[in-house]
Amino acid sequence: MRGLNYTFAETADAAVTQFAEAGGSARYIAGGTNIYDLMKLGIERPAHLIDVSRIEGLDAIETDGDVLRFGGRALMADVARAPVVRDEYPVLAESLLKAASQQLRNMATVGGNLLQRTRCMYFRNGAGSSTTVGVYLCNKREPGSGCAALGGLDRTQAVLGTSEACTAVAPGDWPVALAAMDATIEVFGPEGTRNIPIADFYLLPGDTPHREFNINPGELVTAITVRKTPAGRTSTYHKIRDRESYAFALASAAVAVEMDGDAVRTARIALGGVATTPWRASAAERVVVGSSLTPELALEAGHAAFTEARPGQHNAFKVELGARVIADALIIAAQRRV
Amino acid sequence: MPAEVFSDIARVDARGKVLGQTQYGADMHLPGMLYAMLVPATVAKGAVSNIDITPATETSGVVRVLSLGDFPTLSPEINYLGYPIAMVVAETLEAAIEGAEAITATYETAPFIPLMDSPGATVVPSEGFDTGDVDTEFQNAAEIVEGTFETPAQHHNAMELFGTVAHWSGGRLTVYEGCQNSDSARNALAEAMGISPELVTVKSDYVGGGFGQKSPPKLQTALVAEAARLTQRPVKLVTPRGQLFHIANYRPRSIHNIRLTANSEGRLTAIDYDVVQENWPDGGFRSNGYHEDVARLYAIGNLRATAGDIYIDRNMPRHTRGTHPFPAGFALESAIDEMAYRLGVDPVQLRLDHEATTDIIVGQPLAPHFLNDCLREGARRFDWSRRTPEPGSMTLEDGTLVGLGVACGIFGASGSAAETTLRVRADGTTRIISSGHEMGQGIRTAVANAIVQGLDVNPDRIEILLGDTSVGPQMATVGERGTASIIPATVKAVQALRARFEELAGPNPPAGNLHQQLARLKRPYIEVTASELAPGQDASALEAFRTGRRAGAGSEYPGFTSMSYIAQFVEIHIEPGTRRIRMPRAVSIADIGRVVSPRTARGQMHGGVVWGFSTALREQSEVDPRFAGYLNDDLADYVMAVNADIGEVDVGLIDKPDTMVNSAGVKGMGELVMLGTAPAIANAIYHATGKRIRKLPIRIEDVL
Ligand SMILES: Cc1cc2nc3c(=O)[nH]c(=O)nc-3n(C[C@H](O)[C@H](O)[C@H](O)COP(=O)(O)OP(=O)(O)OC[C@H]3O[C@@H](n4cnc5c(N)ncnc54)[C@H](O)[C@@H]3O)c2cc1C
Repeated sequence: MRGLNYTFAETADAAVTQFAEAGGSARYIAGGTNIYDLMKLGIERPAHLIDVSRIEGLDAIETDGDVLRFGGRALMADVARAPVVRDEYPVLAESLLKAASQQLRNMATVGGNLLQRTRCMYFRNGAGSSTTVGVYLCNKREPGSGCAALGGLDRTQAVLGTSEACTAVAPGDWPVALAAMDATIEVFGPEGTRNIPIADFYLLPGDTPHREFNINPGELVTAITVRKTPAGRTSTYHKIRDRESYAFALASAAVAVEMDGDAVRTARIALGGVATTPWRASAAERVVVGSSLTPELALEAGHAAFTEARPGQHNAFKVELGARVIADALIIAAQRRV
Repeated sequence: MPAEVFSDIARVDARGKVLGQTQYGADMHLPGMLYAMLVPATVAKGAVSNIDITPATETSGVVRVLSLGDFPTLSPEINYLGYPIAMVVAETLEAAIEGAEAITATYETAPFIPLMDSPGATVVPSEGFDTGDVDTEFQNAAEIVEGTFETPAQHHNAMELFGTVAHWSGGRLTVYEGCQNSDSARNALAEAMGISPELVTVKSDYVGGGFGQKSPPKLQTALVAEAARLTQRPVKLVTPRGQLFHIANYRPRSIHNIRLTANSEGRLTAIDYDVVQENWPDGGFRSNGYHEDVARLYAIGNLRATAGDIYIDRNMPRHTRGTHPFPAGFALESAIDEMAYRLGVDPVQLRLDHEATTDIIVGQPLAPHFLNDCLREGARRFDWSRRTPEPGSMTLEDGTLVGLGVACGIFGASGSAAETTLRVRADGTTRIISSGHEMGQGIRTAVANAIVQGLDVNPDRIEILLGDTSVGPQMATVGERGTASIIPATVKAVQALRARFEELAGPNPPAGNLHQQLARLKRPYIEVTASELAPGQDASALEAFRTGRRAGAGSEYPGFTSMSYIAQFVEIHIEPGTRRIRMPRAVSIADIGRVVSPRTARGQMHGGVVWGFSTALREQSEVDPRFAGYLNDDLADYVMAVNADIGEVDVGLIDKPDTMVNSAGVKGMGELVMLGTAPAIANAIYHATGKRIRKLPIRIEDVL
């Protein structure tokens, strides 16, 4: 029978060392809410799981200085209810609270969330596990094998950032909020610590859709940092999904603005559910900055975010929906100014 | 003699369920038990040309592999994706899975038709129906409403998967499995194993949801029994949900063309109705059943119905909660709403004005019923009078569109011959050998309530045996007939037991409750057996019941037809920007005859609204036609309603007995409760937006 080693790491150093010793087939496990799912689907078949959910201090949530710092294994539920996050950064809190379910958020970590894999049904099905049926090609799962989503049921696929090889949506909500807030991902590995701006953390699929994250094997996400900004208070994460809980986004927008009266001084807008990575919508930001925010302008900004969209057969609605999500999110965020 | 209004008692099995103590089929653990996993075919049609099971037999822990030729159902011919071509049996579940995943096969593939609108799909007509003079009514019509309506393939997705534990002992086979028809499971097993049914026991004490999917014998059961026979050890198989999507039954997609006429006086005069559905040749769900129940909903005297099947190369569609009246009712009740607009009549009033008294399908009276009471009570609770009919005329301050919609549902009130044995003991306990299946709907609570209503016994010491073929015949619990069949027999048994006691005790009975009275009379127990037939049945029906064969009757009885009725009112909000659809409020009022278990009946009503909402706005089994496979084959991707979707739900029951259908006046409700909500929602969306959506599920892109 296939064996599986399972070890706990008490420190970040130990985790990295265990990973190096285990060789290529090791994986970190935190809350396990995604990796176990992927193992059952036959997509991940690790020989060694290194449990990082007990690493001392890796669950710290620090909000005192001029950055917010979330330890890699801090729970989604705990970050969402940290007072500073809840009161001063609704975009962050809402992105967590509108994700998954309370049971999952009580298990899942904010570091693991960054590295969760796509919900593309062609990716999830057909890896030959007993829980699935059929054979569906996927370049992410099996580089170079082809993409069954092209020409398939693409209602939930991406319209931005796609390639001939892959149209899979980046699933997470939290990374979208972090993209709007210009977060930095701190990773620790054999070579030491690296700080990666979130804009550089996710890779476009291009012709290598199996490469999703700018992280090397064995590197551990130790923290996520967000520079404090007054824009945090005037922010929202607006998410439209097929049901009101326990569903990934059809289209979502993380928006934070700073207002001068009715005029927008700064705007940060990122999109989820519509793109192959958490998607910063700079074109939309340019439309609103310096102007007074009206519903018409907000919708114009929304449309600006999708000028490059390339919808497939069944997902063209995401273009209009996404634009309206941005528009509504801008209005909601602006109304939160005190 | 229908009983008085029944009082409310708590669910008798709630405590065990909340504590996680209730045992379902797959919870059974037997010493030495082996675990099985199926190997699904990876093509939709063709034949297995070669299968290599060696990697499985070489997997450590694997005890046995059943492959092509080892059992009649393990045949090389493949008619749908996922059809099991082998089963691996191992010491552990992990070894069984590993072995199953290691098996490879090659196939000769054949062309297939995955969907009813795929190239090459053709309609095979089935028998139609014609009454009155539809053509003349169309010529004379003042208004004609027509539309093409579509409802999708949907899977039942009960929480409990298909779980089977099979165990042989001394030539006898015992199977633990959640099913809605343990007698037919037993007969199918006996036939497959080539043994007498007396040697087979099927135990299905609790079922974790059936909804029709667990009615027919399952493909897996005999295979597991065979594995247990070959290995001489108990074997368990729990089929993963992804496989169930592909091999278990589901609601077929169907397309309905409906034309409805009204004359110049505003009377509805004729329906011209055509339906096609996906099916199998000799499939288990007939296409010419769609028009039957809905034709009885209103007084509309002329009906022409045509129907057809389109054969597809997927697993076999069958009954799913709401069965034919769900899709047909979506079509009819949407058309009625549209007609109300054409006629300038309130849609509640139009329905009230067309109360039916005749079953035009059979040409006989309908039993007295109370649909109009449902409509009036619903309208009152919902405050229907605040509705301004103009589409888009009701909005909230923030621009949210408000839509108020109404629709009705109807389902046949069938029944079955049944027999029950009731024993009350001096030691404080009561035992009843009952019949049926407890799927969460509350049949045990209904039986307990019928007992405590009529007898002064300890309410928490009643043992209700059912779902188990070794205690007595277990009737199919389908088509919402469980309670309506067993309760009349139970009420009769209660009355007989009381009469027996009075005879025994004479004019001066001792004091105390029934147990204490028996003790004082020095009688360890008294026992009665009572049976009841459905109207028009004779002794042969009881014989059929006793031998585990079909004993059902209705909804058409000699001289009358009996139906259950429901009226649904929903309030829909559509956000101005993203057009998100929400349902803040629903009111659901039903006529189910006498309510014998108020608590569980209300539970059914709430669940029915949720299910109705889910079928209207959420659920669709998504098939990729290139593979004929279901892609959203788990509970994360098959989108069903969640708590956060559902607003306030207010339910009510008319609680007047149907004096014709059975001695207790009880009609069923399990299917009925989910009817009407989908068209009420579609009608409310029209009211909010002016857009008539004729295809389910309605999604955000449909109103954007
Ligand atoms: C039914 C369902 C619905 C969901 N809905 C949503 C939703 O709506 N929105 C949303 O955003 N998410 C959703 N999720 C996803 C959920 O948020 C993620 O599964 C979760 O955040 C992953 O965190 P984890 O700690 O459980 O990660 P794990 O499953 O433990 O790990 C995930 C990946 O990250 C790696 N990893 C974990 N921790 C570290 C670390 N510190 N350093 C380096 N690598 C690490 C693991 O090796 C693995 O590859 C849903 C999940 C499920 C099952």
